[in-house]
Amino acid sequence: MASSALQDDSDDGMDEFMDKFKTERYKNAFSENNWEEEFNKVPMFMKTAPEEIDPQKYPELACLQAIIHDEDRTPEEQAKSLKDEGNAFFKEKNYQKAILAYTAGLNKKCSDEDLNVVLLTNRAAANFHLGNMRSALNDAAAANKIKPDHAKALIRGAQCCIELQNFSEAIKWCDEGLKLLPTEKRLQELRAAADKHKRAAERDARKAKAKEKKLYGEKEALLAAIKDRGIKLLHSTKPCKRGSNSEDEDEDEGCSAGMAQLSLDGLSSQEVTGAQVFRDEQGSLHWPVLFLYPEHQQSDFISAFCESNCFLDHLAVMFGEEPPPWDTDRKYNPQNLQLYFEDEEKETLYQVNPEMSLLQVLQHKRFFVKAGTPSFIVLVSGSSFLKQFLTGKKIQGL
Amino acid sequence: MLSDSEAAELLSFLTPSTRPDVKGQATEYLLGLSGHRCLSFFLSFFVPFFRDGCRFLRSKPDLLAALFALTSDPSIAVVKDSYHIFINLSADETLHQVLLTDVKILPVLLKSLMDPEYLFSDQICTILSNMTRHEKTCKSVFKELQEDIGLAKLVEIFCTEGYNKKAKLHYLGPLLSNLTQLPEARNYILDKDRCVVQRLLPFTQYEASAVRRGGVIGTLRNCCFDYVHHEWLLSDAVDILPFLLLPLAGPEELSEEENEGLPVDLQYLPEDKKREEDPDIRKMLLETLLLLTATKAGRQVLKEKNVYPVIRELHRWEKDVHVAAACEKLVQVLIGDEPEQGMENLMEVEIPEDVEQKLQEADIKEQHQLEEERRKQEEEERKSSDAERTDREQESGLIK
Repeated sequence: MASSALQDDSDDGMDEFMDKFKTERYKNAFSENNWEEEFNKVPMFMKTAPEEIDPQKYPELACLQAIIHDEDRTPEEQAKSLKDEGNAFFKEKNYQKAILAYTAGLNKKCSDEDLNVVLLTNRAAANFHLGNMRSALNDAAAANKIKPDHAKALIRGAQCCIELQNFSEAIKWCDEGLKLLPTEKRLQELRAAADKHKRAAERDARKAKAKEKKLYGEKEALLAAIKDRGIKLLHSTKPCKRGSNSEDEDEDEGCSAGMAQLSLDGLSSQEVTGAQVFRDEQGSLHWPVLFLYPEHQQSDFISAFCESNCFLDHLAVMFGEEPPPWDTDRKYNPQNLQLYFEDEEKETLYQVNPEMSLLQVLQHKRFFVKAGTPSFIVLVSGSSFLKQFLTGKKIQGL
Repeated sequence: MLSDSEAAELLSFLTPSTRPDVKGQATEYLLGLSGHRCLSFFLSFFVPFFRDGCRFLRSKPDLLAALFALTSDPSIAVVKDSYHIFINLSADETLHQVLLTDVKILPVLLKSLMDPEYLFSDQICTILSNMTRHEKTCKSVFKELQEDIGLAKLVEIFCTEGYNKKAKLHYLGPLLSNLTQLPEARNYILDKDRCVVQRLLPFTQYEASAVRRGGVIGTLRNCCFDYVHHEWLLSDAVDILPFLLLPLAGPEELSEEENEGLPVDLQYLPEDKKREEDPDIRKMLLETLLLLTATKAGRQVLKEKNVYPVIRELHRWEKDVHVAAACEKLVQVLIGDEPEQGMENLMEVEIPEDVEQKLQEADIKEQHQLEEERRKQEEEERKSSDAERTDREQESGLIK
C-alpha cells in the first residue's frame, strides 16, 4: 500500500476519475445482444477491415487512417505504410487492393531503393496471382534493374516468362540470376523446368511439322493422281490464271497451282456428306458421286464410287431389288435408265453409256468435277418427263 | 628490351660459330632495328625446329620474362609474334614449370582473358590449353586459377555467346577438358548446388567449332568417370542423356514404339538431321555413354530411354572402324544380360590378375587389328585418288 505522500503525487483528476467508478454506473456498455457486432467495430478487435471507412460508424479507424496517410510524414514513411497496407490486403488475397496500395507507395517516389524494390516485387507477386503476367514481368524487371541480386525479383521474372511460354527468356533470367547467386535453389529448379518445357515445345513443333508434311504429301499425291488422269476440277472462285507463279510456266503449272489452291474448296464437298475423293492402296481413286432425279426432285449419294466400276454396277444395286420409295410409278429400272452429265459452260447435256466406267466419263474433255463431287442426271427412257426435260437443250453423245 | 649481355648470350646461342667481331656487329645491328620485332621473328622461326632451343630457354627465365613482356608491347605485330612464340613454347612440357613459377605468366594471361575487348584471347586460350595437358602442371594451373579468377568465371566466359567480339574462345573447351582430369575440377563442374555442367550441355552440338564441341564432350566424358554422380547426371536436374545422343542420332525413321520411348529431344528429328562428322568426337560420345552404363541404375535408364535403337542405326551408318567397335561395346551392354549379383557396378568389380592380363592382351590385339583395317582403308583411298591423279595427268599430257 502506497504512502499518502505518493498518492498525492498522482495526476490530478485521476483519483476523482477512479472514484467515480465506485458511484456511477458504467455508460455505453456492450449490450448482450449485439456485443459481437460491437466488438468488431473496435479497431483492436476487428477481424476484418470494412470496405469503406465511414467516419461516423468507425471514428477510430478513420482517425488511424488519417494518421497513416498524413501528408506531413516523409515519403519514406508513407511508402512504408502503404507497403504494409498492401501486404495486409495480400494476405487476405485481395490482390486488386494490394496492387493499389503498392502503386500508391511507388508513386511516393521515395528515395529508399530497398523499399521500392520490395514494393515492386510485391506488386509483381500480386499481379502474378491475378494472372497479369505481363504486368508482373514488368514489375519484376523494374525491381531487377534497381537491385540485380534481389532473389525474389529474379525468381518472379523467371516464373512469369514460363507462364508466358517464353522459355528461352526464362532460362536467361535464371542464368543472369545464378551469376550473382550461384547457389539459389529456386533459380536452379526454375531453369531445369524451363529447359524441359522448351525442349518439349521444340519436339511438339517438330511433330506438327512432320504431320503437316505428311498430310501435304498425301494431298499432293492425290492432286497429282487426278491431274495424271486428265480429270478437270471446277473451281468457281479462282479461274486458272496463266503466269500466276513464275514467268515461264506452262498452263499445266498454273493449273496445278490453281488446283492446289482449290484443294480446300474444290475437293471437299460442301454437301452435308463431308466425303472426299481418296486413293486406295492400289492407287485407284474413289469418288463421292451424286445421282440426281429431277423428275422427282430426289438424289442419291454414293460416298465411294471406284473409278474402275461402271455405272451399271451401281444402278443395278440402287434399283435392282426394291424401287426407291419416291418411284411411285415403279419405272426406274436399271435397264431403262438414261444417264447424262451437264456441261454448264456450254449448256449441253452429254449422254453417258451406263456400261462405261466412272473414270472414262470423268476423263471426257467437257467433264468438270464440281465441288469435288461428280454428279449425273438420271432419266427414264421413253418417259414424257425425259422428253420434256430434254426439249430445247443441246444434247451430245460421248 | 634486352640488356646487352642478354642479347649477346642469345646471339651466341643462335650463331655459335660466328666470329666475335661479326657477332658484335650483328648485335649492334639487331638492337638497332626496331629490335623486338626481329627478335621475335628469330625465335618464332627458331624454337619449333630446335628442341635445343627450348632446352636452352628453360634455364634462362629472365630471357623468357623479357620475351613475355613483349606481349604487352604497344606494337600489335610484336604482340602477335610473341603470342605465337609462347604458343609454341607452351607446347613443350619441359618449359611449363619455369613459365608458371618463374615467368608467372598465368595472372597476366587470365587478366587479359577477362577483358572482353582483348584481341589475343584466342592465343591465351591455346596457351592455357597446352599448359594443362599433363597432370603435373595442370594441377598447378588449377590451383593458381582458383586463387585467381576461378573456374566459375572461365565457364561463364566460355558459355557466354559473344563475350569477346574479337576472339572466339573455342579453345576454352579443350582447356576445360584438360582441367577435368583433376578430381578437384570435376567436383566443381559437378557441383549439385550450382548450375555449371548444365550450361555446358548445349555445346555438344555447337556446329561452328569442332574444337569447342570436342572440348565440351571431353569434359563430360571425364566427369562421367566418377560414377557417384551418374544418377544425378541422368536425372532431370541435368538430363545429360539427350545431349550425348543427339549428335549420334540420324534422320532415319524409327518405329512408332521406338520413337515414343526416346527422350523428347530425339523425337521427330527432321529429314536433314546430320550426325557428328568428327569420328574422334563420335568415339568420345560413345565412351561417355559406356561409362554411364557402369551402374545398374544407369543401365536401366539407358535401356528405358531407348538408347539401343539410336546406336543400332549409328552402327549401320558408321564407316570408321574404331567408332564401330565402340558402338558394339555399348550395344553389348545395352542388350546383354544383367551381370550377376555382386558385379552390378562394373567399375567396382574385382578382376583377378590373370584375367586382367588376358583382357589387356585381347585389347592390344584388337587395337592392332583395328589399326590394320584402318591402314588398309587409307591405302585404298590413296590408291583410288592416285589413280585419279594419274588419269588426270595423262589427260593433260603431264606424266611424272
